[in-house]
Formats: sequence, C-alpha cells, structure tokens
Amino acid sequence: MTHVSLKDLTKVYPGSKVPSLDRLSLEIPTGELTALLGPSGCGKTTTMKMIAGLLTPTSGDVTFDDRSILREKPEHRGVVMVFQNYLLFPYMSVADNIGFGLKMRKVDKAEIDRRVGEILDLVKLPDLGKRRPSELSGGQQQRVALARALIVQPKVLLLDEPLSNLDAHLRFEMRDLIRSLQQEMGITTIFVTHDQEEAVVLADKVALILEGRLCQYDQADVFYKRPANEAVARFFGGQNFIAGQSTGAAFDSPLGQLTLPQGAIAGKGTLTFRPENVKIGEGQSNSLNATLEDRIYLGTQTRLRLRVGDTMIEAIANPDEVGGFDVGGPVPIHLPPQTLWVLQ
Amino acid sequence: MSDRLKIFLLLAPALTAIIVLFMGGLGIGLARSLNYMPVIGLVDPNFDAYWTVFTSQEFYLSFLLTFHISFTSTVLSSVLAIGAALLLRRQFIGRAIINFLFQLNLTVPHLVGAIGILYLFSQSGSFARLAAEWGMISRPGDFPALVFDPYAIGIILQYVWKEVPFIGVILLANMQALGEDYESVARSLGANRWQAFRHVLLPLIFPGLLSASVMVFAFTFGAYEIPAILGPNYPAALPVLAYRKYTDVDLEARPEAMAMAIIIALLSALMIFFYVRISRRNIRS
Repeated sequence: MTHVSLKDLTKVYPGSKVPSLDRLSLEIPTGELTALLGPSGCGKTTTMKMIAGLLTPTSGDVTFDDRSILREKPEHRGVVMVFQNYLLFPYMSVADNIGFGLKMRKVDKAEIDRRVGEILDLVKLPDLGKRRPSELSGGQQQRVALARALIVQPKVLLLDEPLSNLDAHLRFEMRDLIRSLQQEMGITTIFVTHDQEEAVVLADKVALILEGRLCQYDQADVFYKRPANEAVARFFGGQNFIAGQSTGAAFDSPLGQLTLPQGAIAGKGTLTFRPENVKIGEGQSNSLNATLEDRIYLGTQTRLRLRVGDTMIEAIANPDEVGGFDVGGPVPIHLPPQTLWVLQ
Repeated sequence: MSDRLKIFLLLAPALTAIIVLFMGGLGIGLARSLNYMPVIGLVDPNFDAYWTVFTSQEFYLSFLLTFHISFTSTVLSSVLAIGAALLLRRQFIGRAIINFLFQLNLTVPHLVGAIGILYLFSQSGSFARLAAEWGMISRPGDFPALVFDPYAIGIILQYVWKEVPFIGVILLANMQALGEDYESVARSLGANRWQAFRHVLLPLIFPGLLSASVMVFAFTFGAYEIPAILGPNYPAALPVLAYRKYTDVDLEARPEAMAMAIIIALLSALMIFFYVRISRRNIRS
C-alpha cells in the first residue's frame, strides 16, 4: 500500500531540446487505479519508466510515502511494470515465467510452486503452467504477464497499454480481471493508455497528458462535464465550441442568448457541449431551430450535423428519435443548461 | 509446375555443387583412408591406416593440442564478444567509429593476421625488441615464447583477434533486435544486472551465440594455415599432421593422412554435438 508522488518530473532525452515530459506533478493515493492518458509520444511510457527506475529523470522527484526512490535501483523499488507486448520469456514455461520474480528473490522452490499454482488459479489459467508462451493466445499471455507481476506483491504496479493488443471481447474480460485483482490486492496501480474509454472505465482517476504536459487530473466524469480547456474537451470527443461572452448566468453567442448553469464563469470564453447532450425537440430553455445538414447511421445511434444560422453543431441521437427528419429540413433542438460549460 | 518441384529445381545447382564437391571428396577420402587407392596398387580395403593412427602417440598429443586450441579460442572469443556487444549496444559519443574499428578485423585474412602476430609476438618480433630496448628484459630472446610455443598462445591469440568481431557482430545484431525491454522486465521483477543478464539476455542471445561459436569451433579445429605458421613443430595440430602425412614422399602414407582427415571431421562433429547439448542444458535451464 503505497502513496506515489511525482514532483515536477521532467525528462529531456539526449540530443533533444524539447522535453518529452515537462514538470509533471501528480499525487496517486494508496491503493488507487490511475490512468495516464494521452496520444502516442506524449510522455506516458517515459513517466512509467522513470517510476520503475528504467529511466533517470532530468529533474524532479518520485516519492513513495514521502520517501524519494530516485537513488534506488529498479530491483529494489518494489515497482513491477507489465509491458504492452507482454515480454514473456520465450524459453521458459508459463510457471517458470510467473515464478521468475520469486526465483530472483531466492524464495524456496516449493514455496514458488505453491504460489505459482495459486496465482494461476487467480488469473483463471489453472492448467497451463507447463506450456510455453508461444502456445498461448494473446489474452492468455496477458494474464501470465499480469500473474508474473502480481506474484511478487509489488508496492506499485505499472501497466503499459494493458488492453491494446487484445481483441474486443478479450478487452472486456481483461478489463474486469485487472479491476477486480487490483481491488482485491489493493496495489497502487498506474496504467498507460491512449484510449479514453479504457481510461474512463478502468481508472479511479485519469491524468491527461498532452505534449509532455499534464492537462487535467480528475475523476473520469469531470473530463466530460468540466474539461479544463479545449484540447481536453476535444481529446474526450468534444466537437462543439462556440465563441462568445458570458455574464455568468447567460452566454451571448451566434446561437443567441443561452441560459448557463449556476456557477459558470463570466467574461469572454468558449461555450462547449457534448454531441450526446444536444436534445431533439423543444425544451424549457435554450431551444433552437436547426437545419439537418447530414446524418450518419452508426447502428445504436445516429450522428447528426446541424446548422443554426451560420454555426454548425454536432449531435448524437437515438436513431428512432430522428428517423422522421429529412436532410435539408428543420429539426427543433434544445441544449439543457446543466450540460453547458464555458471554457476561458 | 508444383511448388515442391520448383523449390527443388531452384536448389539443384547449389545441391549439385555440394553433393559433387563435398560428398565426392568425402567419398574419395573415405575410400583412400580404407587403403583403397588403385593408382598405387592398393585394391584391398582394410582399416590399417586407422589402426596406425590410433596406435600413434603423436596423434593423441596432436588431438589434445588441437582441442585445446579450438576450445580455448572458442570460449575466449565468445566471452569477449559478449562483453564487446554489451558495450557497443550502448549509446555513447564515437560509437560509430568504435563499431567500425571493432569490425575491421573481419576484412583481414587469417594468413595476414598470423604474419602480424609473428612480427609482433615472436621472440625476434617488435614487442620483444621494444621490451629489450626499454630494459624490461636483457635481450629479445628472453621475451616469453608466445609463438611456436607448446601452449599455442600465438595461435589462440590470432583466432581470438579474428573471431571476437565475428561472434560480436552476430550478437550485437541479436541484442539490437531484442532491445532492452526483456531486461527491463527482469529488473522490475527483482533481478539485479547480473541476474538479468544470466537469466534473460544470455538465454535470449543463446541461439545466435551457439551458431557462431560452433562455426568458430569447427573452423579452428580443422584449420591448417594458422597452426602451420604459428604452432609448435611437435606435437603439431591435427590438420598440420594430416597434411604432413599427405605430402609425405612415400605415397603409402596417404591412406594414413586420409584416415586422419576423416577422424578430424568425425571428432569435430562429435564435439559440436556434445557442445550444443551441454551448453543448451546449462544456459537455458
């Protein structure tokens, strides 16, 4: 059970003038599951490697329970990292792979066998101990990699894109397994992903990193409801951004005057609302007359492209709800005030 | 045309050369080793040549010397090549130049290297003269015998000088393809640097190391020119001994030479078999 702190963590690779990670500060509470979210090359894996001791930071500090660990060797940090491509040792059996960490700690052979058996049951691979990694499916390999990490009871578990190499159905299965094992064992866990849905579903808190900088660190729903800036909103699928002036209670924009929720900021800003929060039909407030420019059927939902005056609005609606509207025709919509958010 | 036939036809020229030259030569050698050489009137095959070889003390001394040369050269070259590859895979200033210099030996023929060793390390060579000039020894003749010596130091020196880059280049390519992530996993699971090398990197590069070192062993066991130039006169390395018998003025000594060549080939194959088995068991267990 370890509280992890990253303090102004910075990494500039030799030969590069731009930091790959720029003064990242995060507090990761004991036993929580935290996602480092961001596109490729944003510094997520660099952060993980610095926590694991596989890379040395250019500046900043990493502390476990208020004790700096930067001088400690990787093998003494109690941090285990599970890599994206599993990296099971191909010349060892599954059982030997899982028992590797205990063997390095010179644990008695009988004890290793006992604990390997237990953890194989835990990851639901009870009969595969004697197989070679090449004889396993991708999902099974991922479970073995997870078991190999968990068996040493790490203080901190790092997962690098744990689901990205798996098929859709395996992703759900693995996601549930990671979540249940993490909660059961209470290990402080940090995982890296570029998939916002994966981060939202799996993590207690999400740290969004863009271009080496922390943009927002919050619980998942906050990224949808109150994004810190336009970049964050866009990363989470936001598509509607309308410039205007806020009085705190209302927002003057090309769409007209829109009622804002309580506590909205005043001054010049950008109004944002999510496509799924655009409601079809008249509402109690913020009703607008739109023209349907285009629609794309996506199976469980329909994506609409609407025009109000000269402003384009993206909306997502239930297919049954919009089936009667023709492209080029009018569509009444409204924007519930509690779904509006003003970015400064 | 079926794929099978196509593959066979494509391989046919190479296979013909191998079968005619290698198997043909081996067949003739085997026949002559069995005292079958109609040109000089030997028409009754027997094992006399083998008997002569196996009852000769010189053969066993030569075998021990040859085994010592091959084994020591292979082990030293492998160990040094692993060390060199581990250093060269790191990023450092001037790495490209060091890498180039490391591989330069590959282009120098063995014979030229041997003559270089002779000029540098013999008791009348450059190092002996320099040592005498600097007062480290009273005269060049006091320089330790590193060439024509009973321990074959000069020969081993030459082989190691030549084979370290050969094995090293193979291992370096291997290590670069693997990257450092496997070792990182091992480190994060609690292995120290040595354990990560011993239990993870070494087994991973082992197939490449095994192939390269088997080639070095086979080559050094059967090579003639280096022991001929740098080796002692008695006991001589097996290939030198075989060549001496082959060029003997007495043509009847030729079956003995051929028996020796066949024995060298068989011993070489046998030792490689055991080397592969033992090293596989020890490295990957």
